[in-house]
Amino acid sequence: MEHILIKILGAIATFILAFIVGMTYGGVVRKITARVHNRLGPPFYQNFIDALKLFSKKTAIHHGVMHFLGPAFLMVSSVVSLMFVPVLIPGGDSWYNSWFSNMIYDGDLIFLIYIMVFGSLGMALGAGQTGNPNSSIGITRGLSQMVGYEIPWVLALVSLMLMYKTTSIVDFINVQQETGTWLMFANPFAFIAGLFALMGMFHYSPFDIIGAPAELASGPVSENGGKFLFTMMSSGSVFSFVKLTLFVDIFMGGASNLVVLVIKTFTLYMIPVLYGIVSHRYRTEQAVTFFWKWPLFFGLLAVLYAVL
Amino acid sequence: MLTLILVIFLGGAILTWLGRKINPLLGDLLFLVSVILPATMFVMNIKVGDTIAQHTLLGIDLVWGLSPLAHLFSLVVVGLGVMLSIYSISYMRGKEKVGMYYFSFILSIMAMLGILVSRDWISFFIFWEIMTWSSYLMVILNGKKVQSIGIKYFVFSALGAYSMLMALVIINSQLGSFMLSDTFNNFQHLSPANQILIPVLLLVAFGVKSAVMPLHIWAPDAYSNSPMGYTAVFSGALSKMGVYGLVLVIISMTTQLPAGSLIRIIVAWLGGFTAAAATLWAITQDDGKKLLAWSSIGQLGYIVTGVAIGTPLAMLAAMFLVVVHALFKGSLFMAVGAIEKQTGTTDFKEVNGLIRKMPVTFISSLLSIIALAGIPPLAGFVSKWMLYEALIQNHNYLLVVLLFFASTAAFLYAYKFLHGYFLGQEEPEWAHVKEAPMSMTIPMLLLALTTFVLGTWPQLLFNSIDSAMQYLGYDATNGKLWTDSVLFSQWGDKVALQPVLYAIIAVFLFFAIFLYFKGRKATRYVTTKDISTSGEIPKEWENLTFKVNFMQPFERAIEPFLKRQIEKYYLGFGKGMEALFDFTRRIYTGNGQTYAIYAIVFLALLLIFRVSLFG
Repeated sequence: MEHILIKILGAIATFILAFIVGMTYGGVVRKITARVHNRLGPPFYQNFIDALKLFSKKTAIHHGVMHFLGPAFLMVSSVVSLMFVPVLIPGGDSWYNSWFSNMIYDGDLIFLIYIMVFGSLGMALGAGQTGNPNSSIGITRGLSQMVGYEIPWVLALVSLMLMYKTTSIVDFINVQQETGTWLMFANPFAFIAGLFALMGMFHYSPFDIIGAPAELASGPVSENGGKFLFTMMSSGSVFSFVKLTLFVDIFMGGASNLVVLVIKTFTLYMIPVLYGIVSHRYRTEQAVTFFWKWPLFFGLLAVLYAVL
Repeated sequence: MLTLILVIFLGGAILTWLGRKINPLLGDLLFLVSVILPATMFVMNIKVGDTIAQHTLLGIDLVWGLSPLAHLFSLVVVGLGVMLSIYSISYMRGKEKVGMYYFSFILSIMAMLGILVSRDWISFFIFWEIMTWSSYLMVILNGKKVQSIGIKYFVFSALGAYSMLMALVIINSQLGSFMLSDTFNNFQHLSPANQILIPVLLLVAFGVKSAVMPLHIWAPDAYSNSPMGYTAVFSGALSKMGVYGLVLVIISMTTQLPAGSLIRIIVAWLGGFTAAAATLWAITQDDGKKLLAWSSIGQLGYIVTGVAIGTPLAMLAAMFLVVVHALFKGSLFMAVGAIEKQTGTTDFKEVNGLIRKMPVTFISSLLSIIALAGIPPLAGFVSKWMLYEALIQNHNYLLVVLLFFASTAAFLYAYKFLHGYFLGQEEPEWAHVKEAPMSMTIPMLLLALTTFVLGTWPQLLFNSIDSAMQYLGYDATNGKLWTDSVLFSQWGDKVALQPVLYAIIAVFLFFAIFLYFKGRKATRYVTTKDISTSGEIPKEWENLTFKVNFMQPFERAIEPFLKRQIEKYYLGFGKGMEALFDFTRRIYTGNGQTYAIYAIVFLALLLIFRVSLFG
């Protein structure tokens, strides 16, 4: 019983960490984007203010049960996938290491790929029930784009699985610990293909047609306010943290303590952000076929590299 | 006992048909009795064993018995058959040709069980033909497009039947026995040419039924044209007979061949292409029936790939998917049938916003769609995980990417299905729609809930699969690839399904309560017209339904692929044959005078060349 209680407390600690880091990153990105655009921009803690405001607002209307359950599905996806991603290197020496050992031994990468899409389906259902056509348009665009970037992403992962004969994330970290080489150097093509996929996952330009704030009124999240929007915002922050940590775990050797984790994830995060600020937007079919050109090529190269 | 069961089926079919003529209610009752009674007898009395019944027909021994492998498939047939028979009563009420429907339904169930118990090729072939004929009657039951759809199905079934017949003749002439076991045990004694020819012919026969590319083109039309109550059987159980045959051919025959691995890798790739291409076609469909028909073809592609790869993990995955696919696709076809019954249409562009009117249908569709998409914690995930692990460990890395692509693209049609029927704008046109009767909703909900249970406790099914695999010559997988509800692979990767389920439930409940119970009372329900689109409040009369060209951006992306249709090649081939026959008809005109001229010309030629020909 005590064991389960500690697990739950650890899970809550992980969640709070992911929430804070994700929210701060979101704020910093807003600031950076503004500075690049030569605006002053909001303070980096603006996202926390927004979240607090949304949380304290009352919801006036709803569109039915699925409208309530959609954000809950979304949260399931981000929190459960958070539980399966090692935040720190397991068995590391920092005193808080054992807090983050959630359920990392109970699932593997293939499981993670599938649980991560659970949320988009739930989100899609919740948005669908509102009847707002803009929500549905945003979702079809998002799902199409997902089919696009899934191919280079899976190719990159399969090449690594072939090289090290495992599909477990913990094993990938251990391999990098033992050999002392990050996998982004051990199989650079896989890293490039994965990076393209990561850019697709983050929905920054040029892959931001899903939200398309100018003409779609924020796509899937329209018709949601107050607590709904708060849940979606926190889920988004946690999910960015999950994606970045997963990437750091697989390609950049994991992190032995939180400072290293923040440095690595932030550096990684800047790639899609900075590229996004200066680039134009792709149409959906352009985005989809984009992933089937160079990223696919690098993915195939990664598999070839792994085989030879 | 087995003979008695099959006789009850056969007699029941005829009695139901006659009873339906006297009184509809009597027909319904007889139908239920003649499916459920023999099905129950089958489950209760027929145990796995070598030979249960033996008959002699025209000097040929017909031997019946139930192998562990057949037992696994018979679970699908009996389970789906009973559920669908209950469903069909309500579904067919008020429709035409109900007697014919009942008759063909019972006959197909009998034929499928007959195929499974056959221990010799003759009874196998007889039952196979009964199955084909009864399903053909179902395909043309509604009398629409009999010319195009019925004939397409029939031509392909005939192609399969002739290949099987040819294989059987070769087997008998070479081995002198029609027994399945003799064929497998003496396979080594055949000549090398026959060792290739027989499996290939049988693969064609079984490939037609399991809709493997390029033998699939009958399937989308045939599935969507039969009554929905039967399509669930068609896609869930009948197509699995093809898989059953494939398992026999691939595992029992090709493993004995040096060139067997080549055949298997070809079949595996065909399965992979089937999965990917059928998924893309499913995305472009605007009719729920057609969408599910293409999706069935795609899912069968996964099964075929798993069987063809044939490692223990792949086999486990394929056999698991055989059962799970029957469950979720059965439930989905039932849901489409319920919608068709209640609204009169299955077109996404016409019907929408049914979520509040048909909640039970929605929940069972939602569960089944999650299972179909392979998202944990439902049972689809278990088979997907095992299949991917098996493919990666067997070094089929490009095939695994193809399948990953197929299953990711499946989210698109999964969402299209749910959004098409249940979500979106609620139009006043459909305000009168009520939930389907209990006898339709309960079977579909039961099937969907079974996928939920199997998603966390797959060992309930693994035990049967394990004994079937041991019958095929595999080692026991319990403890190696799974224990209780934990899945393993040879590399030591694992997924513990129970903690996953508990974590998902805990997080879901927490946030559902957070959002729902605090917010629900304070908020009021508003209709789907009361929304803000880009800051403008739409008027009552504005139609905001988004259905036409739902997946257009994606369809644009895959446009080059969609241009290539194998059906065009078949049609071209058909046209060529027609031209050939046309030419032949010019020679054989059927006119006596023309034939007289031919005879005279022939004689004249003989006279002219008599010296050179006869000296």
